[in-house]
Amino acid sequence: MKQRLMLRVNGEDYELFIEPKKTLLEVVREDLGLTGTKEVCDLGSCGACTVLVDGRPVLSCLTLAVASSGKEITTIEGLRKGEDLHPLQHAFIVNGAIQCGMCTPGFILTAKAFLDEHPHPTALEVWEAISGNLCRCTGYVKVVEAIMSASSEGGVPEGGRLEDQNDGGEVLTPEMGE
Amino acid sequence: MRLPSFEYLEPRSIEEASRLLKEQGDEAKVIAGGTDLLPSMKHRIFRPKSLIALDRIPDLDRVAFDKKGGLRLGPMVRLHALGNHPVILERFPMLRQAANAVGSPQLRQMGTLGGNLGLDTRCYYYNQSSFWRSCRSVCIKMGGETCNAVGGGKKCFAVFSGDLAPALIALGAKIRLFSKEGERVLSLDDFYSGNGAEPLAKKPDEMVTGVEVPPPPKGALSAYYKYRIRKSIDFPLAGVAACLAVDKREKVCKEARVVISAVGQRPQAIGKIGELLRGRKLEAPIMEEASNLAFKTAKPVANTGSSPAYRGFMIKVFVRRALEKAAEGNGA
Repeated sequence: MKQRLMLRVNGEDYELFIEPKKTLLEVVREDLGLTGTKEVCDLGSCGACTVLVDGRPVLSCLTLAVASSGKEITTIEGLRKGEDLHPLQHAFIVNGAIQCGMCTPGFILTAKAFLDEHPHPTALEVWEAISGNLCRCTGYVKVVEAIMSASSEGGVPEGGRLEDQNDGGEVLTPEMGE
Repeated sequence: MRLPSFEYLEPRSIEEASRLLKEQGDEAKVIAGGTDLLPSMKHRIFRPKSLIALDRIPDLDRVAFDKKGGLRLGPMVRLHALGNHPVILERFPMLRQAANAVGSPQLRQMGTLGGNLGLDTRCYYYNQSSFWRSCRSVCIKMGGETCNAVGGGKKCFAVFSGDLAPALIALGAKIRLFSKEGERVLSLDDFYSGNGAEPLAKKPDEMVTGVEVPPPPKGALSAYYKYRIRKSIDFPLAGVAACLAVDKREKVCKEARVVISAVGQRPQAIGKIGELLRGRKLEAPIMEEASNLAFKTAKPVANTGSSPAYRGFMIKVFVRRALEKAAEGNGA
């Protein structure tokens, strides 16, 4: 049973008539024609569908459209200002962080939300922040370098490279904390 | 993958939500973050006629602390908030570790405390699409008579896969449940049935309204250890939460609460380890005995990633590690 829904996406208000079973991903792509957001795993394991909801990175494939009214939704299309790309978009291009491009919108939005909260991260912090976004092409190094360069507004600082990553192994074994 | 059709209900209070849940019975499911429920619906494991959303109910995401009563958490506190809240950073480092261990950054923005505690049990033969499952018999968890994971299995071996529960149980947490009949508070340990097919020991129309965590004993050391193949996204394949009160000078253990997880149908507190260690000096032989106790309690079967042998062994390694670090007196 379709119901009326108001969504605010990239600063614009849309009135929609959709069924509750539509995910935000489906609505953004099929009803709004914003195909920058990609469907990849559709199950919450890859991050390609990441959009920002009230500035927070969430998986649109697991978000119901009907649960998204009254919120500010940002897709990749919402990052550029007129003709100007967002610094993150520019950084990804010049640092060679894009190959097939399927994962890129999700990465950029995750990175934007992260840098908004942590403007000067270490490389390890960037690796952890993007750990919910998978890429089958690049091997991540240039993605991290791009995000690091966007964070320091120019130049690729040390710390973006694989050997700078603290390899703690695949088990989480923290110190016993008081 | 498309979701099946459903009616979307948005109650404005817990009372209204509970009333809807009782009216709809097992035709309805409660939805919080949706990160566990929606994938299962996409796989047609569940096809509820209606979803009862909790995110329009105000005040369910409170985090409050006072020195006497301890921590009071609402069921809709997002995992990201749990992992970053100042009072949790300061006073409950293990809870922060456990919350930050869940999933990925995006999943932690969406997932909730209540949702992670109520996480469905998982099995390689259950968490699959309807097409994949149609090639095998209907399993016990889906209402059938056979287990596809364990040949000849007469019960469900689906694995409890949440990260918060073992940590909260080790901290002595209580859970608050609400229904029309009233509210009740029980130890979080008692919230889990041990039945892989029906993992939660609550009535169908009961809803989680809060979790309460007493202040940890002064100087207690705690940590949550999680084994998974990758460093993010994955569910635990073995988990240990340990909370130990140790006399640092003498290295004598005063109290030990060790909870193992992801190697059975429920998180398992091992009271025998507490009994063994109480009043004893933390030296190699007794730490080895304690970690062996944990190893024997773990009952992994071949229905997740990694192997049962490796997962069982990691339980032993984690318990041993927790005790060694506590003996060294490592603070956070």
